[in-house]
Amino acid sequence: MTAAVDDLVAGVLLLAVAVYSTAGGTDYGAGIWDLLIGGPRRHPRVRALIDHAMAPVWEANNVWLVFAAVVAWTGFPILFQSVFLSLYPLFTLALLALILRGAFFAFRKVAAAGRAHMVATLVFGAASVLAPFCFAAALGAVASGRVGAGGPVVPLWQACLNPTSVMFGVVALAATAFSGASFLVGDARRYVPPSPAPPMPREDLVEYFRRRAVAAALATVVVGGVALAVLGAESPAVVRGMVAGPGLPFAIVAVVATLAVAVLMWRRVYLWFRVLTVVGVGSFVFAWGFGQSPYLLPGRLTIEQAAGAPTVQLTVLVITLVALVLVVPSLALLYVLDQRNDLESPDDGGGASPTGR
Amino acid sequence: MTTTIVLAAQPAAVLPSREQMAFTLAYHIILVPLGVVFPLITVVMEGIGLRWRDPVALKLARRWSVVMAVQFAVGAVTGTILSFEFGILWPRMMGRFGDLFGIGFGIEAWAFFLEAIFIGIYLYGWNRLPPRLHFGLGWVLPPAGVLGTFGVIAANSWMNTPTGFRLGPDGRPVDVNALTVIFTPALGYEFWHFMLALYMTAGFMVASVYAVGWVRGRRDRYHRLGFTVPFTIGAVLAPVQLVVGDIATRAVFRDQPAKFAAMEITWVTRSHNPEVVAGILTADGRTHLGLSIPSLDSLLAGFSPTTVVRGLSSFPDSTRPSVLDANFVHLAFDVMVGLGVVAVLLAAWYAAAWVRHRDLPRSRWFFVGASLAGVGSYLAVECGWITTEVGRQPWIVYGFMLVAEAVNPVDPRFIWAMFAALLVVYAVIAFFFITLLLRLSARWRRDDEAHIAEPPPEVGSPYGPRPRTFPAPPASPLPPGGGGPGAGGPAG
Repeated sequence: MTAAVDDLVAGVLLLAVAVYSTAGGTDYGAGIWDLLIGGPRRHPRVRALIDHAMAPVWEANNVWLVFAAVVAWTGFPILFQSVFLSLYPLFTLALLALILRGAFFAFRKVAAAGRAHMVATLVFGAASVLAPFCFAAALGAVASGRVGAGGPVVPLWQACLNPTSVMFGVVALAATAFSGASFLVGDARRYVPPSPAPPMPREDLVEYFRRRAVAAALATVVVGGVALAVLGAESPAVVRGMVAGPGLPFAIVAVVATLAVAVLMWRRVYLWFRVLTVVGVGSFVFAWGFGQSPYLLPGRLTIEQAAGAPTVQLTVLVITLVALVLVVPSLALLYVLDQRNDLESPDDGGGASPTGR
Repeated sequence: MTTTIVLAAQPAAVLPSREQMAFTLAYHIILVPLGVVFPLITVVMEGIGLRWRDPVALKLARRWSVVMAVQFAVGAVTGTILSFEFGILWPRMMGRFGDLFGIGFGIEAWAFFLEAIFIGIYLYGWNRLPPRLHFGLGWVLPPAGVLGTFGVIAANSWMNTPTGFRLGPDGRPVDVNALTVIFTPALGYEFWHFMLALYMTAGFMVASVYAVGWVRGRRDRYHRLGFTVPFTIGAVLAPVQLVVGDIATRAVFRDQPAKFAAMEITWVTRSHNPEVVAGILTADGRTHLGLSIPSLDSLLAGFSPTTVVRGLSSFPDSTRPSVLDANFVHLAFDVMVGLGVVAVLLAAWYAAAWVRHRDLPRSRWFFVGASLAGVGSYLAVECGWITTEVGRQPWIVYGFMLVAEAVNPVDPRFIWAMFAALLVVYAVIAFFFITLLLRLSARWRRDDEAHIAEPPPEVGSPYGPRPRTFPAPPASPLPPGGGGPGAGGPAG
């Protein structure tokens, strides 16, 4: 009974991480593309699209991170302690990136054009690279067995910076760039630019991100394979779980769905690509999570060993269920309105933002 | 003597960790009142606009939405930082008590989720959602804010009066009762006291913006409405807060005697305890410079001068706030109470004017006071938070875990460096945030001045024309009479 409850809570945690990787990841991806645009005068239309697409949803997407943290410390207190004692520098960097990113995204939308706007854009883009890299590197440190139960087992810098954590970070960058580009294709297809005549027609915006989505999808699969090989050298048990254990179905789905999006994009078939993107990116996370089950820290700490008080586990599940009933329809409403183009900045009423638009 | 030993035994990371936590919390708490309450004030204003077809009210509601968008973003990120700081700074507390501490946050996380979702819909739905639907969806925000606050306060009150478990042999909690973990003795008074504080602060803060305009002679309907709605909320709640605060203080006397002793800088346990207003406690247990009112503290705490109040010296040194902490707590507490009384006086003035001539007070001095009410409320919130947090020292979970046991035992230089980075980042954010607000305000004023020369038709426009089918590039909501990109604003 309690073991089943513990497993369910672990499932909720994995789900939260997976959803954050896709929902939050899409926003990070948009930020990465924003950075890759370069100077402030290049492709203002693309930047406007990114602003337009992200603004209404990024806060809701980011809540999954808070939720994952809360489930982690409530459901598995000792896991939370272990991870932070061993990897606090990664989380510190991620945090700084997170706060800079959120604040400067909000500012650049309202800041007047010029130097302030340029700085805000640069900070936003750089932070969009740093944050997902650090978070994924932390997962890599866990997967490669460098986090001890209750406290550090290897020197701090080794725990944070090692082949697996770097590869996980790179996979995260590729995957977020992929889902960012894929969703931006969808957004570009519906985008109605604000009044002044657009220097870049809608079709070009779609093309711009279509090519990038194909490239990023292929890159994700390739670096994913490399990461698997690196992990295999350092933590063979986890890789066995991923390619010959409970993680296998997810690994297959991840690769197939990601490649399917690449094919669809290549052939300009704009059907199902968003769903497939979410399934693909989410399955990468699930493949890793199931691959190392029943361990939270491979070889060191199982789900059962780490579980908090049984009553609390049940409470977490109850709270989660009640909240899901409220949150899922709300989230659906937000996404539907967003995808129907019903959401736009309250400040757009009359070209009120003299920003890069 | 004992104190020195305890201090020496403390991990060196305690000081920077405490400072950093205090700073980030103090910063975040500034964003909380508006984050929780601004939606309500805005939705009420939107309702007024819809009900009486008042374009000024709609214009205000819409402009407030723009401010809300930025302020919510900053609040969301600074809040996220906090949940990770628990892990970075206090990992051992999370490892030992994370499950109990987390129940409240479980509630908060989902409430925050609803808030983030509906704030997205509300803020970005002005242009294209049907007005009534937009207004209706806005009503999800106030209860979500209350629920989130409940969750956070539940976690905090559990740290102050931890109940709902006992310690097992390995030091981990067993026999957990989740409901008792949430509904601790301190929850009731902490929650209502803080909730009222949030509503008062947000009301006074928003009102003070228009009070400043009023003092400077901008006395149009826009300023009158922008002042009246939020100020009324604050004024109604101010006297209620005085009563709730009094009840809360008595409850602290009962539940958290060491904190109470610090609040009143009571050194020796005694009856007929005087109420010391201001004043400083020195290490020898004497108070200086204060105004001492005989027996009043005993009277307030237990309705009788014979009520015995425990003094700080009755607790072992290592389990009570230090003299320095106690002075800090006492000062904060006195400032909070003083500001609360001033708020009630201001509210009384407002009420008297309304009763006598059904209008705002005529005196300029009232509006000078009202201009300061926003900042004053923020100061009171900070002081109240200092009272409850510093008053709990040296405990992180009262009676069960010391701050020194919870801390991440790292090289303190790392924490100092992180703290320094956060200071810089937060300062930059504050700079941008304030610059932005001033710029918005200036732009809106320019727009309004442009509009006065050229009166309506702007009726109905706050929601803009809503072309159901696109593309409609040039037909998109251009401000009638405002003209051109770069002007107009949400008014258009």
